[in-house]
Amino acid sequence: MPQESLSGQPSRLSIAITGSGGSGAVTTGSILLAAVARAGYYGLMTRSAGPQIRGGESAAMVRFGPGPVNGMDDRFDILVALDWLNISRFYDEIPLGAESLVLTDPAGGAVPAEILASGARVVELPLKAMADAVAGGRLNMAALGAAGALAGLPLAALEAEATAALGRKSADIAAAAVACLQAGYATAPARRVTAITGTERWNMSGNEASGLGALRGGIRFVAAYPITPATEMLEWLAPRLEKVGGGLLQAEDELASVNMIIGGSFGGVPSLTATSGPGLSLMMEGLGLAVTSETPIVVANVMRGGPSTGIPTKSEQSDLNIALHGFHGDAPHLVLAATDIRDCTFTTQWAVRLAEHLQTVAIVLTDQALGQSRTICDPPARFPDELPRVTAEIGDEPYRRYALTASGISPMALPGQPGGLYVADGLEHNPRGTPSSMAKDHAAQLEKRRRKLLDFDYGPWWAEISGSGPLALVTWGSATGAVVEAAERLTAAGHPTRAIALRLIAPLRHADLAQALAGAERVLVVEQNQGGQLFHYLHGERALPAGARSIARPGPLPLRPGDIVAAALATLDPQTPAAAHAAGASPALTPESLGRSAASPTPDTGPGDRPAPSAAQEL
Amino acid sequence: MSDHHPEHIASVGEFLAHALELEYESAERYRELAGNMSVHNNPEIAELFEYLARMSDLHAQEVEEHARDIPLPQIAPWDYKWAAGGSPEANAAEQDEELSYLMTPIQAMHLALHNELRGRDFYARVAAGSPDPEVRRLAAEMAEEETEHAELLEQRLARMDPRRATPVEDLDPPNMPE
Amino acid sequence: MEGASTSSTYQAPVLKAKDYKSDINPIWCPGCGDFGVLAAMTKAAAYLGLAKEQLAMVSGIGCSSRLPAYINSYGFHGIHGRSLAIAAGLKAARPDLTVVVAGGDGDGFSIGGNHFIHACRRNMDLTYIVMDNEVYGMTKGQASPTTQPDWRNSKLTPRGTGVRRFQPAALALAAGASFIARGFTGDPSGLTQLIVQAIQHPGFSFLHVLSPCQTYQPEQKEWKHLVHESEEEATDDPIEAARRIQADDGMSLGVIYAQSLPTWLPPHLSQASLPEIEAEFHL
Repeated sequence: MPQESLSGQPSRLSIAITGSGGSGAVTTGSILLAAVARAGYYGLMTRSAGPQIRGGESAAMVRFGPGPVNGMDDRFDILVALDWLNISRFYDEIPLGAESLVLTDPAGGAVPAEILASGARVVELPLKAMADAVAGGRLNMAALGAAGALAGLPLAALEAEATAALGRKSADIAAAAVACLQAGYATAPARRVTAITGTERWNMSGNEASGLGALRGGIRFVAAYPITPATEMLEWLAPRLEKVGGGLLQAEDELASVNMIIGGSFGGVPSLTATSGPGLSLMMEGLGLAVTSETPIVVANVMRGGPSTGIPTKSEQSDLNIALHGFHGDAPHLVLAATDIRDCTFTTQWAVRLAEHLQTVAIVLTDQALGQSRTICDPPARFPDELPRVTAEIGDEPYRRYALTASGISPMALPGQPGGLYVADGLEHNPRGTPSSMAKDHAAQLEKRRRKLLDFDYGPWWAEISGSGPLALVTWGSATGAVVEAAERLTAAGHPTRAIALRLIAPLRHADLAQALAGAERVLVVEQNQGGQLFHYLHGERALPAGARSIARPGPLPLRPGDIVAAALATLDPQTPAAAHAAGASPALTPESLGRSAASPTPDTGPGDRPAPSAAQEL
Repeated sequence: MSDHHPEHIASVGEFLAHALELEYESAERYRELAGNMSVHNNPEIAELFEYLARMSDLHAQEVEEHARDIPLPQIAPWDYKWAAGGSPEANAAEQDEELSYLMTPIQAMHLALHNELRGRDFYARVAAGSPDPEVRRLAAEMAEEETEHAELLEQRLARMDPRRATPVEDLDPPNMPE
Repeated sequence: MEGASTSSTYQAPVLKAKDYKSDINPIWCPGCGDFGVLAAMTKAAAYLGLAKEQLAMVSGIGCSSRLPAYINSYGFHGIHGRSLAIAAGLKAARPDLTVVVAGGDGDGFSIGGNHFIHACRRNMDLTYIVMDNEVYGMTKGQASPTTQPDWRNSKLTPRGTGVRRFQPAALALAAGASFIARGFTGDPSGLTQLIVQAIQHPGFSFLHVLSPCQTYQPEQKEWKHLVHESEEEATDDPIEAARRIQADDGMSLGVIYAQSLPTWLPPHLSQASLPEIEAEFHL
């Protein structure tokens, strides 16, 4: 029942667990993920919930396999329904197919029609009775046992992780859980248990990974204002910053937090804050001050559904526009994006070093899908270079903070350093730092602030490139997982495809990107927003060849590999509906079901043309 | 808090410390005004204040002569025994309303003259009321010097064109720098 | 309570007040009250013997906020209303520095109002000097939160704002400031002493300075006749302070309230190393 992937690689499995508050769906998912890890696999867990503070419906989605898992599959193999209360919230998020299994207890209610419509097979188990037979038994543990057996996980792994998770509360609760696990495990159809020899792996969430990247990069001062879905990053950092000699200051608002980190950085301490779209909007003026005063700061923006208050608990990649263009004036700066949860560590660390060395603003984009999901992954890579903050050595000459240099980077004096006195300013200034409205000073400083970024050698980390072929998928951020998997499937299906995931989005590495796209006959830019924000940015930068298309869909649903495959095939073959179906797009994911008009054939568009709404844009 | 009683100055060292501070403050204040006027494009008044600052420098040097070999106490800025209003020749509040980027030389000279007379008044109070006879003698000497300074200023004032007693009007509206 | 040392125990400073003045001439109008703050600040720095490189002046936007450029120290001329946030970050990262924040009534009480109340509450060891001229000078004379409601000289509010003004000292007390004082630029020696006391006070010191604007509020030349030294010593009782502030005509000078309250700094513990933290992620 675990699907063989098209490439013949060992298989992966996707399990979803749903239930209302109190049923323990999220705890079940966490234990499942940990058991997966213990069994030697890699894994990914995302969650979804209703708006209630407690008691709301919730879902945990886990995908695992013998290799790194960076995105969810097109559909779930197993749905474990602890109950059916308010399950309608999750229909779109838990696509099922004829090959899927639904584990449910009939005593908990009838299976909803929408679930049955998928064609999934229902496996009825007396979960409640099993749980009631154990003193203190819980239904979710019985369900987990059954699901674990169906998934081929070793019982010992499930028992060990349940004990670890619940034993903190009491040994009795843990024992009851184990008993329920055993009962559930025994009732499932017997299945060959596979366990693999695991490599060294870590269990981390995206927000935690970003926090670690910050610490590795040298961040020792954080100003924090809570906002979903960034808050956990700040909360993870708070005690750990103190432990390594740093500190966190809770601000009264985002206007304060961005200015606080400017102050901290001015004082010589690498400083960071984390926020989401609404907070980033507030911070814009402060970011401009950091750019103009050349004070290094890092803002981690964990994107969520926008615009305005939007959908705080769901993911979307729609803050690229503001990250790139939100500044008034000409304010070159850095925009980076992590490609997956593990990459949150590397990219954040890199961003800190770049900001410090280049004395500028680095906006690091992640999103709710990365930030609040948890993965079993390889240990995160480390950025290898020191890239220090260039500090001033005071000689006999009067110190000039914004002196024009070959690199564009001016050595920075730190308060406490004799002879390095200067006043940092958001006003345009001359090399000494005195405010100036003169044309030559504005020109010189603008050019310096731009050139220091453009001339810098960013090395090979500007993008992750995989595969090869005439079809090129360009993407960024959390869409990368689905795009890479789609590229693998397309290649296996006879359409060699390369995937390019940008990590450094601004400044754009034109030559590198041109080389990566060399020989591509079709370029598709894939992203999770309505406006095709990366597509339009790359077009504006003249970095896309003729005929490049945008594949863009807003949140809250994640992009799935099958959607991307279908859209890509549709661009290759004008007979769109057949091509889409042949590629295996589930009936649940046709354009009709998404409320869009049926696809129609569309001619090639020329360079610079805005593509007409077409199958290429509809998933 | 200021003592406001010059006649409480009771030692030569303390007195000379006051006299020095008076002249230093005066020079600083004139230099600041000169810079201010220069920034506001009134070079004539800037130069006049520079001249007055140099005068204060000279007066300070004269006091330093008096104070050679005499140990001076360090006095906290608010412990000086000026009469009410702070240092006599640099009193900010009284002068501020007369200051203007368009002020004429006659106005500037009146301001300087006022300062010298206040300085003289300060010395006169010390000369009249200090319990120390040497202090009284010194203070009387300095009061006399201040009177001479004032006379010099009055002579200069008399040579100035009386039609320039009041400033011309600036026809441009105020600027908004930021 | 802390106070300025008496002359007999005073140590000679290495630097004189004029050593703290930069070589840049202020753009303030002749007669601007802010000159008084510049003079007092330099005298205070000299009195305290502050090393120039250990002093950081932080400001926002406005005429008063130009002050850091005129002082020989490190400085940050930030954006409108956010000086207290920059200063808080700087002090949190560098508690060894003496951080003095300066600005006007618009910068501090209008756009900066939220940061003001939180700075009072947080009680970090900062000194905040607000030069209050009851007007937005740099943008050509609009009403500020401390402007009289019937002031009709602004084109933006030609019939007056009709809105009552803040009493900054009352705001500071309500927000939890631990040191509240009022000074006047026409009383330079008094102002110097207040700045010294404010800097010496461990915690957030709010110094409300009446600073006349000759250009847009020429009537403020009357202030020198209206200000008066407070007859009472500073109190450490917030209820008494509230009474005085509410009964005050807004023109009394001196330290109104000074209280010893816990100051805030992020703790720097250095108990763990990064590898120990990374180990938390291992399976």
